[in-house]
Amino acid sequence: MSTYLEIPIPPSSDHLWRYTPWKRVHPSAVNTIPDAQPLTISGGDLFKAVITDSDEIARSFIHSIAQCQELVLADEDLVIDVKSSGHVAAGELKIVAKGHNTLVINLMGEASWAGLRIVGEVLPASSLSIALINELSSESRLLRVEDWVVGKDASLEFSTLSAGGSYCKTDIRVNLTAKGSECRGSVAIHGTGKRHDDHHFEISHAAGYTTSGLVMHAACDDKSRSIGTGLLKIETNCDGSNAGQIFRNLLLSEKSRAESIPELEVLSDDVKAAHGAASAPVSAEQLHYLMSRGLTKSAAEALIVEGFLMDAFKDIRNKKVVAAMRNALLLHLDCLVI
Amino acid sequence: MNDDAQDAVGDYRYGFHDPEDSTIRFDKGLTEQVVRDISELKNEPEWMTDIRVKAYRHFAERVMPDWGNCEMLNAIDFDAITYFLRSSKGTESDWDDVPEAIKNTFDRLGIPEAEQKWLGGVTAQYESEAVYHSLRDDLEQQGVLFFDMDSGLREHPEIVKKYFCSVVPYSDNKFAALNTAVWSGGSFIYVPKGVHVEMPIQAYFRINAKNMGQFERTLIIADEGSSIHYVEGCTAPTYSTESLHSAVVELIAMEGATIRYSTVQNWSVNVYNLVTKRGIAHKNSTIEWVDGNIGSKLTMKYPAVILKGEGSHAEVISVAYSGSGQHQDAGAKIHHLASNTTSRILSKSICKNGGRSSYRGLLQVSPKAQNCRSKIVCDALVLDEDSQSDTYPTMEVANSSADLEHEASVSKVSSDQLFYLMCRGHSEDEAMGLIVNGFFEPFTRELPMEYAVELNRLLQLEMEGSIG
Repeated sequence: MSTYLEIPIPPSSDHLWRYTPWKRVHPSAVNTIPDAQPLTISGGDLFKAVITDSDEIARSFIHSIAQCQELVLADEDLVIDVKSSGHVAAGELKIVAKGHNTLVINLMGEASWAGLRIVGEVLPASSLSIALINELSSESRLLRVEDWVVGKDASLEFSTLSAGGSYCKTDIRVNLTAKGSECRGSVAIHGTGKRHDDHHFEISHAAGYTTSGLVMHAACDDKSRSIGTGLLKIETNCDGSNAGQIFRNLLLSEKSRAESIPELEVLSDDVKAAHGAASAPVSAEQLHYLMSRGLTKSAAEALIVEGFLMDAFKDIRNKKVVAAMRNALLLHLDCLVI
Repeated sequence: MNDDAQDAVGDYRYGFHDPEDSTIRFDKGLTEQVVRDISELKNEPEWMTDIRVKAYRHFAERVMPDWGNCEMLNAIDFDAITYFLRSSKGTESDWDDVPEAIKNTFDRLGIPEAEQKWLGGVTAQYESEAVYHSLRDDLEQQGVLFFDMDSGLREHPEIVKKYFCSVVPYSDNKFAALNTAVWSGGSFIYVPKGVHVEMPIQAYFRINAKNMGQFERTLIIADEGSSIHYVEGCTAPTYSTESLHSAVVELIAMEGATIRYSTVQNWSVNVYNLVTKRGIAHKNSTIEWVDGNIGSKLTMKYPAVILKGEGSHAEVISVAYSGSGQHQDAGAKIHHLASNTTSRILSKSICKNGGRSSYRGLLQVSPKAQNCRSKIVCDALVLDEDSQSDTYPTMEVANSSADLEHEASVSKVSSDQLFYLMCRGHSEDEAMGLIVNGFFEPFTRELPMEYAVELNRLLQLEMEGSIG
């Protein structure tokens, strides 16, 4: 396994780093390993643990500066706070889920740069609904990488509300390794100011009769930019798999930007795989409807944005996660108005 | 044809070849001197020689693309290719004057028959140069210029100089540089203001020799308010060694003009088909690419439209069939640079027997382009476990008023559909053929009837034996 400094810097032609180059993600010079403060995690029983290094540059970088803790979930319903402070803060979290679990992570703090690497496993016949609410300071930069393995007849739901931080790169990879495993991902992004938010997803169907669905909604205002790239891969001999992916962008200002690249690689024949992407301004019809009922234009627009972002979570079955997302979104939007 | 090649190609009906009877054949391999020799042989103006040499230097320096099917791309041996081969003493306008062997080839391909029935003009290219060329008198009288590219450069150098490399610069990509360095043949068309060419104009490209490179260059300019439909077909014999087809096509649609460019690509499975096609659409003009890819070993082709003028429209309809050993990497690129521009892309692909089909697309809306609309639909059928279907779309939106949609799906042929047809007396093969023809129908209905019939028949042949 490589250590960070041995891994070549990815060129901008590399799909994963095309819009968010590694040199801008790294907290300092790319050939350095800075000192980092650990992320402070509170709210659960955590143990010291070790996870292996990676050949992938972002994972290996966080591994080189962070300490790892392990969280074992067994029929739990947990909310944890992950706080960053100092100039550079980083942490690795290993999560093992057995039974039926809910985990809400509030990512907060003032660190200039925060790195979070999660390596998780949902054991056979278990479920985990994990939500991450990015409430980092508006000056923070974030690198977040996650790798999940979902076992036989197990289910993973991952939800993200991304509204904090100024320059964020997220890379989430899910491996559906056994028959009957499923994964649903829901991501809502609100871009304001000059916020840059890049999400990459890879969902690999490595066994037959596996199911995945991914929805990403990005509402971009001011000069913000959202990037959504996804790769759905159905390997050979994975008949009966069903995969879907949709990226929707709502552009709220003239200078906002959105990039969507939903990719499909299908190597089995008896499967269903589909993806879609759409980008549009706020619907004049919806605005008219709300304004004719007495709302000001800005209030009507805010309501449409709220509805659009909450719509990303409509397929999430865990009600507690949906409620947590709604509360966090309303708080975020209220704070913007204030 | 040897046994291996026969096995590889199956029923490819255009796999025959004639004995090579070239009048001029360059040695294999590419050097700056070869480029200069091609230019000198054609007695070209100095500016063209200079462009060729610059393009060659760019080609030599530029690395191979690091995306797409790199394994196949890196297997191309540029030193094993013949870059220029002249089979005829000149371009004839009377079919009877074409050398007998070449005439027989095109007779077998049905070219003169089609010309008499339904074409406004024909050019037939054999190896590096056009061997036959004709244009209906009425079109000639209306001022339509239709030449093979070499003659176009001789007769109208001022127009060629103005537009050559204006849409696809030689530095665009490695294969555009290669084409610009060694181009030979292709079509040059200029349609004057307000002239509508009612009948399609056709070019037919044939590679006959082994390890041959065909690098035709096509330039079509439709002046204000005019319209034209250009159709091209391609075939080659089947050899066990590879040939390279690397064309560049440049379209310019002036204000209010319409250009439709239809391709039925049926190269044999030993041909690399690496083509750059791009058009510029000015105000209220339309460019349509109708693109069918049935043959070749590796196709990398992404017809592009730059919507430069307000109110311009682009349409790309493409289908791809990938069988054993084939990779059809096709797609479309649309750049919305102006306001109120619209585009539509429809891509359909089928892969079977271990074939691979990929859609690779780019949709870009620039910051100043207001109220752009676009819709992309990609459908793929995977017919067996050994085949692969990929979709790599990119949407880059820098204007909030843009309304864009992309949707794609991959599936197998529904057993319900097969069952329904078989209940009505069709065999499994016939039912599969009907479903595939129906799947490609949005493409075939856009082709002239003779092409559509031929394409359906080709697909039927390809689909035979696809069950079980």
